[in-house]
Amino acid sequence: MEFTTVGGLMLWGAVVGLDLATIAQVMIARPLVAGVVAGWIIGDVQAGLIVGAILELFALEVLPFGAARYPDYGLGAVAAAATAGGAPGVFGIGIGVAVGLLIAYLGEIAIQLVRQRTAVDVVRRREAIDSGDVRVIYRLHLRGIVRDAARAIALTGLGLLLAAGVRIAMPVDVRVAVLLGAVAMGVGLGTTLVSGTRIARDVRGGLVWLAAGLLAGVAWVVVR
Amino acid sequence: MNRGLVAATARLFLFQGSMNHERLQGLGMAVAIEPLLRDLDGGPAGKAYREAIGRAAGFFNTHPYMAGLAVGAVAKAEHVGVPSQQVDRLRMALKGPLGSLGDRMIWEGLLPAAAAIGLSLSTMTNPFIAVGAFLLLFNAPHVLLRWWGLRAGWRLGTDVAEALSHPVLQAGLKISGPMAALAIGFAIPVVAEWLTTGLDAAARWGTAAVGLSTAIVTRWLVPTLGAARLGILALTATLVLGWLS
Repeated sequence: MEFTTVGGLMLWGAVVGLDLATIAQVMIARPLVAGVVAGWIIGDVQAGLIVGAILELFALEVLPFGAARYPDYGLGAVAAAATAGGAPGVFGIGIGVAVGLLIAYLGEIAIQLVRQRTAVDVVRRREAIDSGDVRVIYRLHLRGIVRDAARAIALTGLGLLLAAGVRIAMPVDVRVAVLLGAVAMGVGLGTTLVSGTRIARDVRGGLVWLAAGLLAGVAWVVVR
Repeated sequence: MNRGLVAATARLFLFQGSMNHERLQGLGMAVAIEPLLRDLDGGPAGKAYREAIGRAAGFFNTHPYMAGLAVGAVAKAEHVGVPSQQVDRLRMALKGPLGSLGDRMIWEGLLPAAAAIGLSLSTMTNPFIAVGAFLLLFNAPHVLLRWWGLRAGWRLGTDVAEALSHPVLQAGLKISGPMAALAIGFAIPVVAEWLTTGLDAAARWGTAAVGLSTAIVTRWLVPTLGAARLGILALTATLVLGWLS
């Protein structure tokens, strides 16, 4: 991977990681978006699209209520695209998603560490905050953002290292590659079914809408 | 005050910048509200300003897109001289209803609906068009909600609860859930067919079997496991078995 590609992915990873919750939340952290753009940076949009779409199926389970914990699937999609990019056929998909899920899970843990560290800052400066010292509040707020950026950059770097390692060392034959791809897709699709059912159950007549969507989707597949 | 509203709107996009386990969004609230408090009696050097900032930085947690309503309402309450204890009560009273409304309308409605539409589109058209459509579908209401929320809160002050019955908000609440269910339902077969194109029949049936097993495990057997951890376990087991066989 060229230096400019690595730099582009690191920058994109920082933007994606920050968008998850810290800045803007305009959903460029969604794996579909993160994966397609990462694929474009690598020069293989199709690979980025496929691993991004599979991780998007996983991400539909996330309901980021309050201080809920959830995986960082956007950073996962960047790592997954870096793993799968350029691999022929199905070779990169399953293993790419596996690397993506690992980074997503580590992202979840790292968010908690960032928030704990910011909480320590808040406790230390409680008096200044409560007295309305706006300079202290700005400083702590900025530190929180910088910490999250560092988290995103570190995890993107780790994801790229894992991707490079997997691409060099992983002896996966075509049979195992197909199996891995099928498992990744299956878990993603099953997760989406459960997420859809959960959302539908919370809405009046929701299960009817879900069933109508399923029928329309099947009809689309048949007539296309 | 227009300049203050513009600055506060921009800062709403940093609302969770210092999210933490001690005060959650408290510091973000103080950062967002600050431009609206600068013209309190005595200005930024005055006692009223510092006390209002200190109050705003207390524990706070709500849906980030709905936070503008609280920021605007609390700022107006500080401006009209509402007693400090009442301002605190207003802040604490708003976080639950705003959070609940935003969670249902955005996290359980607009977001999964837009994501599922984006997924379906990505199987039918150029991926950049699909991604662009997803971002537009989601962010047009999102940005409008942040912009409107702050202004509605500022206009209504302690009567901000009136804003929650706004017909557009109520309509959004009503249609977002069914829209999400419909869009997810449509996406499942469309995406499944797209992803498995090129696989042989055995691999397609295998994918379906894994999907059904996942649904059973995450819905009934181990609902706390989470899809990411299940995916890591399943893929690791597949890799190890593939090596051994």
